[in-house]
Amino acid sequence: MTDTPGPETAAEPAQTYEQAREELADVVRRLEAGGLTLEESLTLWERGEALAELCQHWLDRARERLAAARPTD
Amino acid sequence: MTSPSSPESPWPVRTVARKVAEWIGRLGEVWVEGQVAQLSRRGNAATVFLTLRDPAADLSVPVTCHRDVADRPGLELTEGARVVVRARPDYYVARGSFSLRATEIRAVGLGELLARIERIRRLLAAEGLFDTARKRPLPFAPAVVGVITGRDSAAERDVLVTARRRWPAVRFAMHHCAVQGPNAAAGVIDGLRRLDADAAVEVIVIARGGGSVEDLLPFSDEGLVRAIAATRTPVVTAVGHETDTTLVDHVADVRAATPTDAAHRVVPEIGEQRRLVDGLRARARALVAGRLEQQERWLESVRTRPVLAEPQRLLAGRADDVLALRGRATRTLTHRVDAAERDLEHARARVAALSPAATLQRGYAVVQRADGALVRDPAEVADGERLQVRVAGGRLPVRVDRTTSTTGTPAGTTTRTSAGTPSGTGTGTGTATGEDGAP
Repeated sequence: MTDTPGPETAAEPAQTYEQAREELADVVRRLEAGGLTLEESLTLWERGEALAELCQHWLDRARERLAAARPTD
Repeated sequence: MTSPSSPESPWPVRTVARKVAEWIGRLGEVWVEGQVAQLSRRGNAATVFLTLRDPAADLSVPVTCHRDVADRPGLELTEGARVVVRARPDYYVARGSFSLRATEIRAVGLGELLARIERIRRLLAAEGLFDTARKRPLPFAPAVVGVITGRDSAAERDVLVTARRRWPAVRFAMHHCAVQGPNAAAGVIDGLRRLDADAAVEVIVIARGGGSVEDLLPFSDEGLVRAIAATRTPVVTAVGHETDTTLVDHVADVRAATPTDAAHRVVPEIGEQRRLVDGLRARARALVAGRLEQQERWLESVRTRPVLAEPQRLLAGRADDVLALRGRATRTLTHRVDAAERDLEHARARVAALSPAATLQRGYAVVQRADGALVRDPAEVADGERLQVRVAGGRLPVRVDRTTSTTGTPAGTTTRTSAGTPSGTGTGTGTATGEDGAP
């Protein structure tokens, strides 16, 4: 059973992007492999959603920083 | 010999002059090599006066010769020409002046010149002055560039104009000197020392336009080459045409083909640098953006995977399973119930078929002894024994009474009843039932 993520406070999320991405990929693999109890599937799905949000968060932040650094060209 | 001189009996000038002349005469005839510094011919005077200079040592000596010696055909005696002179020391007693009396002057030919340069080159190369290890890198964008060149020369203009265009912020420390003739080398050496001493000067350019081998000779001067080797500041030479090579080119930190090329080597071109920097920034940005897009695409692909995008599929799957299972359960149950019902009916039918009730219904009766055993043979029962007779309607307690005679048939006599009424029972008279009545 994966540990459900702690509440992601506004502060920097604990996991780095790569860690979140790695775990998300693993979650998807296990869901697709099947053979899970109903409860496990649900918990895993929730974990997957949380991780996807986290990755999105990182990518949005990166996009903002890139835009911020854009010179006035 | 005259007596030694002393304050009391000093020699007269003529004696001293004669002695000096004698001493000097002892040198005898010598071949001497040098550069014609000055050359003066007074009208058609028989004697030509010139000074022979040693460029490496910055010394010179007066030489006189007969006009024919100087005007020998094939010998173009000009100032700055390198010559080899056969001469004797001559002390002109009348004025006490020393000079060399030349009897033959040979111009040092081009081949000779080149050979001389080659000798010097090998000498200096052997000393390692030309080793690439000694070459110092040029500063990227020097604030002050030292330039040694002829005043208002084309070379000067090329260096200054080109450098300023490329890097407007550059400043120059100029040193103008002769770039040809006997004291060219000395002038350049002087400039080198001055500019090298100036800490602000970050690089020194020695620039000179094209010229003949003789013109460029000062730039193969051993003294100058050593001076360049000794400078701390990097030196760039731009001497003569691209094809000319002078010794300074070998010792310089960088050899530029032309004065303009020297400017290109010494200062970066500002527009080019800006484009370079902009290019690098753009590439960096593109790389980061590209990586970002790639990750975004990946995340997108993961999020659209069915397991994440449509979780209900998971549930749906299970719901269907449950439905199917329920269906099967119901079906199985129904079958079983039906089967059970059928069995029941069969059983009931069989019971019904087997059960005595129907038989009794048809008028038969069942006789049981007290202990419940069925009486099938009159012999089994004793006289007067109490029996039970079960008929459809119920039970009848009876007793066996064989006393009434019935025509000689021993116990067990059977009485037949009329066909059509199945029961053969005697009421209260103890006669056993008949074997079979028509059902």
